[in-house]
Amino acid sequence: MTALEQPPVTAPRVGSAGSASAGSLVPTLPGHWYTDPAIFEAEQERIVEAGWVCVALSADLAEPGAYRTVQVGRESVVVVRGRDRAVRAFFNVCRHRGARLCVEPEGKVRNKLQCPYHAWTYDLAGKLIAAPNLTQMPDVDRIGYGLVPVAVREWIGYVWVCVAPEPPSFEEEVMGAVVTRLGDVESIDHYGIEGLALGRRISYDVAANWKLVVENFMECYHCATIHPELTEVLPEFADGYAAQYYVGHGAEFGEQVRGFTVDGSAGHTRIPGIAEDQDRRYYAITIRPGVFVNLVPDHVIVHRMTPVAADRTLVECDWLFLPEVVRSGVDLDRSVELFHRVNAQDFAACERTQPAMSSRVYAHGGALVPSEHHIAEFHHWVQARLA
Amino acid sequence: MNYACQLADLPRGASLRLTDLPGSPPVALFHTDDGELFAVDDTCTHADASLADGFVEDCAVECPLHAAIFDLRTGEADGLVAQYPVRTHTVVIEDGAVYLQLSEKIPHLPAGAQRYVAS
Repeated sequence: MTALEQPPVTAPRVGSAGSASAGSLVPTLPGHWYTDPAIFEAEQERIVEAGWVCVALSADLAEPGAYRTVQVGRESVVVVRGRDRAVRAFFNVCRHRGARLCVEPEGKVRNKLQCPYHAWTYDLAGKLIAAPNLTQMPDVDRIGYGLVPVAVREWIGYVWVCVAPEPPSFEEEVMGAVVTRLGDVESIDHYGIEGLALGRRISYDVAANWKLVVENFMECYHCATIHPELTEVLPEFADGYAAQYYVGHGAEFGEQVRGFTVDGSAGHTRIPGIAEDQDRRYYAITIRPGVFVNLVPDHVIVHRMTPVAADRTLVECDWLFLPEVVRSGVDLDRSVELFHRVNAQDFAACERTQPAMSSRVYAHGGALVPSEHHIAEFHHWVQARLA
Repeated sequence: MNYACQLADLPRGASLRLTDLPGSPPVALFHTDDGELFAVDDTCTHADASLADGFVEDCAVECPLHAAIFDLRTGEADGLVAQYPVRTHTVVIEDGAVYLQLSEKIPHLPAGAQRYVAS
């Protein structure tokens, strides 16, 4: 067929009433939702900057003066542990002439944040404490011209921030996501995540829109095709229904499987607090917009996503084990390798999908099969935020 | 003797900048975490900044602006950032009130803070 003979591309008839396939297929978002810089900017403003973002492991800021510079939507934020050991966050903007206070991604200061431009100096609680000639300007309000604070919460061993002037309820937005998936918030408490230690951290730079990454994590229709190792450990994933399709459902390990490892061999010491129905099972939670929590009996895997462009997403993935397991120096490779491989497989699939988002053929989007229908609810959520 | 404040108003870890002492540049009064009281010239001898806003650790105060360090007992400078000492003043506590016996030495004031001498 020559170009002239190609049929015109029309909207796919997915989910349209009266067709033979009525109900089976539900439409996805149109392709430009994954490529349009204006939509990406609106998402940054109305989703990322409006909600709670998980920015660091509390243990990343273990000592007073330890800080991390993080991107939250279009804002740069400094998260720092004070001399009183409390974690605080501030917009990374000097109140004087706007220079970035911290440019390193992480570091440690002794007792203050000092602008490298004119040396306006703030204590770790954000108060303006010194500046050249400041003693000659007694009318300057040290608090009013202090660093502008960002709302902070510490939960499950992570630091969460919200740059919105009036943050939404952390209990509803973040803890609520756990309740939606697990049925109650106690189920995640059993894992005592705040008491676990970092065994491994791997960062991924994914050339795909953040929504493709979320959608991928929410469904398991692809599992049997691209995740042979995972499907071996969790045989029920072969039928395409992910742990996230149900409420309070954990995918059961295969009969011969001894642990959540790349080859099904035994894992490490089981987390003592987990309930009987949490043993030998895998649970997964999406905390919108950018956190995935994976729970298995002997470790917890936490993904944190940072959308940086319409077609680029950074993902930091932590593997957390009991502190004694990490301290012992035991080989964690087989445990880490399973989900690292899943990540690599998933992100390759997302990167394979991204270029097609701008294809004429995908202008009206694609289709969700029944085991993916719950993703439409995610699309409605995104659209409602942008409406 | 110059009245500074009530001791109860200056808890451990707190500091006070005293700007209206007759014939004297501002003085910084510290109540350390260990419960000791020290008074030194408030203005760093390196550049015009208030030591009362600095950080006290191990009987020394670190200037918040350029991190010059002064010994609170002797006023001695670290010799790295600041070369000249700050004066130390005698602290007297009577009936729950804090008084200062000001040093009669000539203060070392940095450029930009000479106005304190003029006044």
